[in-house]
Amino acid sequence: MNRLAIITLGIFFTLNVFAQGPPITTETPIMLGLEGNGVRTFGKFISKENVTIYVQPIGIPYNITSKFQVGAIFPFKLITPKDSRTTGGFADMTVFAKYQLYKKDGKAKTFRILGLIKQTFPTGKTSSSSTIGSGLYQTYIGIVIGKLTTKIGLYTDFGYNITNKNMSDNFIYNFSVGVPLLPHKYPQKQLNTFLEFNGNYVFDPKVHTVFISPGFQFIPGRRILFETSFQIPIVQDNITTNKTNYMVLLGTRFLIN
Amino acid sequence: MKNTVKHTGLLVLSLIFFFSLSTTNAQTSSNEITYVKVEVKGLACPFCAYGLEKKLKELKGIETIKIDVEEGLAYLTTLTSQKPTKETLEKIVTDAGFTPSSVVFSKKPFNLKDEN
Repeated sequence: MNRLAIITLGIFFTLNVFAQGPPITTETPIMLGLEGNGVRTFGKFISKENVTIYVQPIGIPYNITSKFQVGAIFPFKLITPKDSRTTGGFADMTVFAKYQLYKKDGKAKTFRILGLIKQTFPTGKTSSSSTIGSGLYQTYIGIVIGKLTTKIGLYTDFGYNITNKNMSDNFIYNFSVGVPLLPHKYPQKQLNTFLEFNGNYVFDPKVHTVFISPGFQFIPGRRILFETSFQIPIVQDNITTNKTNYMVLLGTRFLIN
Repeated sequence: MKNTVKHTGLLVLSLIFFFSLSTTNAQTSSNEITYVKVEVKGLACPFCAYGLEKKLKELKGIETIKIDVEEGLAYLTTLTSQKPTKETLEKIVTDAGFTPSSVVFSKKPFNLKDEN
């Protein structure tokens, strides 16, 4: 069960690693500005009943065109079980591709839909007592939808994650509402606040988790962004041991060109 | 002899006058500014504007760029001699991931919201 929980959590955070630009823990269909060519990294601290996990992923997206983006995510993970020593190393690597399926632009507003495919490789070691990697190949196929105006941002993503080795597939869904706290000017400072929900449903055995994730984002200039999110579980169905207490995310994104 | 010197002097002065006049005109023409207002649909967030600004900066002759996210407008000042075409600007907006709307060229500056 612990292994399943860690795998599930691994899938969960990996798929959320590259939420592009605002929002913080949900994908965005807008591949512009800070969501374009750049680097994203954040530290994520996960407190569970029997273990604490620290993850430091680095994500690198690249816009081939304004409609087509590819990228890779390289996570480093530290696991500290209760009454045991810390194990660390590089976890499972993910490559992804996003393609814009639909776009409707208006004055100071946009509505976009993307197709998203991710492939995760079992590059993280599984030989130690606290497994860093899942040991699984995973293929995720999903849709990202977003509507953005200067007053509010509404985003959702959902998709099916296929795993090998007779492990259960899972359905992942996220929803986000973002509101700017400062007037939208360019390139002045921006402060955004988010309320997000992050769900994961594993089919066999049936395990359902939902987190509520309030967060803040500060953009001090054209090319850099800082963000933080606090994730609290509101649903942990069929998880009897090693439940998640909370997760804290602190990160940055910056453009490299 | 006196007349020849006088005529030569007048001719030289005239040449200097016309030469300086034509140089002044040429300088005025090469430094002349055109103001451009581009309506950009889909420009709904400040962090989205960076890609557009970057692509507009690559244009030759661009002096200044100001982006108004609330109104979805990009204001440019450009040397008239290197003024981009409407088609060029529309392609830049499209390549940046937005939808171009109107492009207006003017000899006079536009009234920007912040400057009112």
